Amino acid sequence: MDLLSFINFYLVPGIVLGAIYSLGAIGITLVFGVLRFAHLAHGDLATMGAFLVLALVSLLGMNPWVALPVSMAATAGLAVALHWLFYEHLRRRSAILTVIASLGVALMLRAVVQVVWGVDSQTYVGGITRPESYFGIRVKDREFWTLAATAALVVGLQLFLTFTRWGKAMRAMSDNPDLARLSGIDTRLTTALTWTIIGILSAAAGFFLGINTELKSLMGWYMLLPMFAAAILGGVGRVEGAVLGGMVIGIAEECSVLFLPSEYKSALAFAILLIMLAVRPTGLLRGKVL
Amino acid sequence: MEWIGLANYAVFMAIFIGIYAILALGLNIQWGLTGLFNAGIAGFFAVGAYTSAILTGPAMEGRLGGFELPVAVGWIGAMLVAGLIAWPIGKITLRFRSDYLAIATIGVAEIIRLVAKSEDWLTNSARGLNNLPRPFGDLDYFYSQLAYLGLVLLCLVVAYLLVEHQFRSPWGRMMRAIRDNETAAASLGKNIAFRRLEAFVFGACLMGLGGALLAHFNRSITPEGIDPMIATFLIWIMLILGGSGNNRGAILGTAVVWIIWSMTEIVTDQLPTEMAIQAKYIRMFLIGLMLQLVLRFRPEGLLPEDPTQRKAKAGKAP
Amino acid sequence: MSHTQTGSPILSVAGVTGGYGSGADILHGIDLTVGRHEIVGIVGPNGAGKSTALKAIFGLVQVRGGAIRFDDRDIAGWAPNRIVRCGIGYVPQVDNVFREMTVEENLEMGAFLRRSGVEAALQRIYTLFPDLVEKRRKPAGSLSGGQRQMVAFGRALMLDPQLLLLDEPTAGLSPRYCEQIFQIVRDVRAAGVAVLLVEQHAKQALSFCDRAYVLASGRNRAEGTGQGLLADREIAQMFLGG
Repeated sequence: MDLLSFINFYLVPGIVLGAIYSLGAIGITLVFGVLRFAHLAHGDLATMGAFLVLALVSLLGMNPWVALPVSMAATAGLAVALHWLFYEHLRRRSAILTVIASLGVALMLRAVVQVVWGVDSQTYVGGITRPESYFGIRVKDREFWTLAATAALVVGLQLFLTFTRWGKAMRAMSDNPDLARLSGIDTRLTTALTWTIIGILSAAAGFFLGINTELKSLMGWYMLLPMFAAAILGGVGRVEGAVLGGMVIGIAEECSVLFLPSEYKSALAFAILLIMLAVRPTGLLRGKVL
Repeated sequence: MEWIGLANYAVFMAIFIGIYAILALGLNIQWGLTGLFNAGIAGFFAVGAYTSAILTGPAMEGRLGGFELPVAVGWIGAMLVAGLIAWPIGKITLRFRSDYLAIATIGVAEIIRLVAKSEDWLTNSARGLNNLPRPFGDLDYFYSQLAYLGLVLLCLVVAYLLVEHQFRSPWGRMMRAIRDNETAAASLGKNIAFRRLEAFVFGACLMGLGGALLAHFNRSITPEGIDPMIATFLIWIMLILGGSGNNRGAILGTAVVWIIWSMTEIVTDQLPTEMAIQAKYIRMFLIGLMLQLVLRFRPEGLLPEDPTQRKAKAGKAP
Repeated sequence: MSHTQTGSPILSVAGVTGGYGSGADILHGIDLTVGRHEIVGIVGPNGAGKSTALKAIFGLVQVRGGAIRFDDRDIAGWAPNRIVRCGIGYVPQVDNVFREMTVEENLEMGAFLRRSGVEAALQRIYTLFPDLVEKRRKPAGSLSGGQRQMVAFGRALMLDPQLLLLDEPTAGLSPRYCEQIFQIVRDVRAAGVAVLLVEQHAKQALSFCDRAYVLASGRNRAEGTGQGLLADREIAQMFLGG
């Protein structure tokens, strides 16, 4: 197989998938860092974001890309609501109970999607898209925009975390929550802010997965393992790590069909996860270990 | 004869409650005793079911198995293989906080599900393994059910005694004392680490047994037969509602949740067929909601842990 | 009891009892006062409740009885972030910096509640701790122990508190840094901030505190000037390990 074929059939899809996983992994690493628990409902939050776009497209005839920001806002609100309804009172008791609750929330989100939209596959727009060719590398329009939007979101988030007062407050909470409280940082607001960002990123991840493949009620749940593997691979609590981990796993998954049966793609993420935990739990970029 | 129908149904329910109670006890020793969050119960369940099926089922072309060994061997094999799979997972993740175990067990369950669906030579893929032998299967319907119920209850009693013994032993008390303090657990000596692994594996064995019991009751096992979401999640809510850390609570919770679950099925069965599919997911939503309500208002469950041995479950200090 | 200046004390603690969460009382009625420009120390054997006393003042520990007045306001039972707003800064013994954030970011976090004047506050801190200027963009975790303490102090000082609570500021530091820390405390006092500190190294602390209290088993045992307590052999033997 020549290089161009490899790039077109494995690398490009891998990079697109990697971008999607990165967005999800960033959300997971933020929850790990700022709120210190494994958010098992993360995948299904992405599913909800994707299907909200579908609702807007089918009910209002909006262009999916225009509907995306609306869904982001709605998903952000949903994430904050989920926290206040189901997680807040448990965090004071014990972190692991929050994880159990999040498993229940995942089930509930998924059930809502299944009741409202059913379990069959859906798409945003029908038809075939022709890829554009750039020096022989074939990239579809939507793949290009997926990558561009992901880059914009990641850069925007990093700027926010590095230069704004509230971004720094989030980092402080992730670094040392007790000291953050002592310094007068409002932890409730910071928490709400964190969930808002998570909602935005999850909606994007779900949407990009949906628009590049298809929409199914279990799409987010199946992403959960790769997203967690990516967050742990990169280093828990590090946004750059989540991006790195996401890209590695996305590309690895797409390339894995060269030597693994395609049904076992997700097994690769699992294997990477176990290896990292066994060998280097802090991840590639030395994050936290919970 | 109305009452025969009811009696049959009651025995049928009791068998399911018995099997799920064994699973709940397995989870109790993992979570209630040791604080380990196993989110992949369905995986260990499936492994047990398939192992027993392969060992005891009839031979088929192009497929591993058909050893037609006695059912008892199948069940022991189920427990062994489930334990064998639990061991490396536990070894790698137990030294961290339980969050990592949760993710790893989700992964294991997923892989097992994939194997069950795809590996023709092992599991016959979607068609599943059928014609499994069933103890007392040759008896009259009612008596066959009753006899199987007896077997299940026997297993349940043995499991209960074993697990209860673990809880009450001195090191069991110590486990519960450290259970809520994850940071302490990480820095403890090898002895404790070994015991925690042991608890995890033992719990997994019980889950494998449950899988085998169900497979032989139904005489078949297919990948679709165990909805992983339901299997894993139902056991969790059974345990939490019943009272984690309390073995009788586990059994009680199993009975209560299974009865509620069956009742909702009867209700949704009355609905027109267009709503039938949605009804299933509405039930799942309600179960998920029920867990949240229990966690909020009565996290210790119906039968809380023995208070004299319970450390304050206040969690982290403010 | 002699005050070294006139005017009401900035902090007065009277008969305070309390403990952690739902646990037993650790403090059994302690009294102490801090004047507006004093350095006051709390010393005593291990488990005396010294750190707990500080935490009670800052709202980190349940106060179940007694009164705590700061600048004429009753602050007992207030949450820490409300107390911070009033003008008390607290430097914990361990984990007292944001290790992954730069020195400057640590200071900025200290000033989170400020609406304005952050730049000026930064300048004041850098004047107080000139060593930090060249390290301002380095992660706090990469600094030496003594410099990390400076960052910890600086963070607490960014809001221009009138009272600084220090929990064992010299813990784990070499003698050279100990002396440096004591000098910093004097500089802080010179800048107009009262200091209440808990110290394990009783002798060193007493030698530079204006006044001090000796606590044991959650109760007051003695008080006096730093020099006075140092010279008292009985106290030294009973409570301060000879």
